[in-house]
Amino acid sequence: ADIISTVEFNYTGDLLATGDKGGRVVIFQREQETKSRPLSRGEYNVYSTFQSHEPEFDYLKSLEIEEKINKIRWLPQQNAAHFLLSTNDKTIKLWKISERDKRAEGYNLKDEDGRLREPFRVTELRVPTLKPMDLMVEASPRRTFANAHTYHINSISVNSDYATYLSADDLRINLWHLEVTNRSFNIVDIKPANMEELTEVITAADWHWFHVELCVLSAVFEEPEDPSSRSFFSEIISSISDVKFSHSGRYMMTRDYLSVKVWDLNMENRPVETYQVQHPSVPRVPCVPVAMSNTCPCPQVHEYLRSKLCSLYENDCIFDKFECCWNGSDSTIMTGSYNNFFRTFEREAQRDVTLEASRESSKPRAVLKPRKVCTSGKRKKDEITVDSLDFNKKILHTAWHPMENIIAVAATNNLYLFQEKVN
Amino acid sequence: MLGRGLKRKLSDYEENMAGLSSAFDSSRSLSYPLKRQLVLNMCLTKLQTYKMLVEPNLHRSVLIANTVRQIQEEMRQESSQQPVNICPGIAAASHTYTGMESPGISLQLPSGVGQQEAHCCDLRSVEDPIENSLLIVSDDDMSSAISSILKDLDFVEDISPPTCLVPTGDDQPKFPENTGLKLEDDRQDLKGAECVFGSFEISNSTSYLKDLAIDDIFEDIDTSMYDSDFCCPPLMPPRSPSLATEEPLKTFPSCNSSSANNIQICRTDLSELDHIMEILVGS
Repeated sequence: ADIISTVEFNYTGDLLATGDKGGRVVIFQREQETKSRPLSRGEYNVYSTFQSHEPEFDYLKSLEIEEKINKIRWLPQQNAAHFLLSTNDKTIKLWKISERDKRAEGYNLKDEDGRLREPFRVTELRVPTLKPMDLMVEASPRRTFANAHTYHINSISVNSDYATYLSADDLRINLWHLEVTNRSFNIVDIKPANMEELTEVITAADWHWFHVELCVLSAVFEEPEDPSSRSFFSEIISSISDVKFSHSGRYMMTRDYLSVKVWDLNMENRPVETYQVQHPSVPRVPCVPVAMSNTCPCPQVHEYLRSKLCSLYENDCIFDKFECCWNGSDSTIMTGSYNNFFRTFEREAQRDVTLEASRESSKPRAVLKPRKVCTSGKRKKDEITVDSLDFNKKILHTAWHPMENIIAVAATNNLYLFQEKVN
Repeated sequence: MLGRGLKRKLSDYEENMAGLSSAFDSSRSLSYPLKRQLVLNMCLTKLQTYKMLVEPNLHRSVLIANTVRQIQEEMRQESSQQPVNICPGIAAASHTYTGMESPGISLQLPSGVGQQEAHCCDLRSVEDPIENSLLIVSDDDMSSAISSILKDLDFVEDISPPTCLVPTGDDQPKFPENTGLKLEDDRQDLKGAECVFGSFEISNSTSYLKDLAIDDIFEDIDTSMYDSDFCCPPLMPPRSPSLATEEPLKTFPSCNSSSANNIQICRTDLSELDHIMEILVGS
């Protein structure tokens, strides 16, 4: 099993797609509840596996192009087949996943095993009939969108018109039409004429699903910070690793190294302003982070790491890009951390919990025990000290079912699925 | 060979840096300028490492370059406010180590530095070994480090760029994105400094070929094999093997060595070969 690099539920939550470092996509399907197997509802089993991207070699630049899948995005279902977009650093592909559970029998010109029949043996005409067969799931590439990105693609996002989508690399964002592969429109370009003046990069982009004209890009973020907490690493830790609009469209969430911030976009029914989807300059959204409540600051994910920033910089962990996600009702947000920990924050109730995704703590049907990291010298029982955290076990990718409380957590090369226990 | 030496240096470096960074994190007594120097050195070393990669990571390079710029700004502000160095310890160190040219950092960390006991009352004893081990970096060094890594990231564009969406009546050319800067004036100075270095690097490389004579370029290619009259070129025997010809060919030694013995053998074999050729050709 390879390292999982992206996790995404489809619009109904029945399908869960994962992409890995080896260019493979594995799709899980939720089992339907049946009378004979009442407990199996909620289980996800492998539905389809296919090789989406292969390693390539760019001869012009003498560079190897990794096959690692950076992002998967589902398209809404319009017919019996499912469609998804998957991308590596350079090329985006549209895949069609379709089921075949019938096959035709009784051909006139060929036998059951495919051999052509002798013409004189055909004495009568018959209509082929459809017979059931074992379910077969086929994945076929329908479109390949290539050669539009000089830098590494980090995001793709489907527009609410379901006909166009955007792809973002470090310096540019392109707009595509799903039917057209030989042309894309560059809508954002932050590459300076002189590369020496480059100070920011695009790290994530997402379409807002109401306002078609809004597109968010997140670059290195400048935010007025409390001077006492400013450090040499402020620049690096304030870099946004992920941005996600809420399902309602009212809020936006950004993940930086140490915290998650929720931003309020719609103030008093004003249309979203200032983002024009055209170059040269890309203005910033002048919105203020909304605190969870008036008194509580934005939730820190792993504030205890602030005292370790130099070591984390030295071993490059400070560059880890954590993702974040909303639950279906936008009441809770989730993000990953180190030591295979992940955190959920309930916005209204002001509750947060740290959980661990590991084999030891994940017996089937067992309730996950909350974990705690201790920062002071005295360690209580069951607490983990900051120094004993395993920084190689990082949960970068998480996904939340669009309607139910089911979460998918990718811990290196294992996928964990957790469900709210219903009593 | 170069690779092996470099690797050893890097792993030594990594061990020492691990000690230094944990000292940074745990010790409250490290002075601010010292901490800053440590971070700066780490940044520059990282940038240097990225430069050696075939494809440096753009995101990380930009973040590190920004951090270096931030430190550079701070140091400039300090030096403009106070002509005298703030930390006499640093000044002393810089006098001692002006001769240091190699960009690598060779460190000898005394064992006591990383531990809690080290940062008791005597600050000097903690700071000195760290000071002694940190490379003093000039403003120009920082600028050139930033500019060189960022220039490396400027990939050759694809031949067929994507079609640009025509903006509504906006015909202005692209401007570099400069928001987030605090001091515009210094920026121009910085740009000037970087441009100087940028052009310096470019001209240095293009004049290299013009300066050298053609012969110098090929100096290190070993042409001794082709120069010598005595050394036999490797002959391909004719494809019709006859027993008579095979035996002397089997004893035919390779003629690449220039020792006297081989030359002797070559000579005798040459005459034999001539003899054989005469027979074969029938002249």
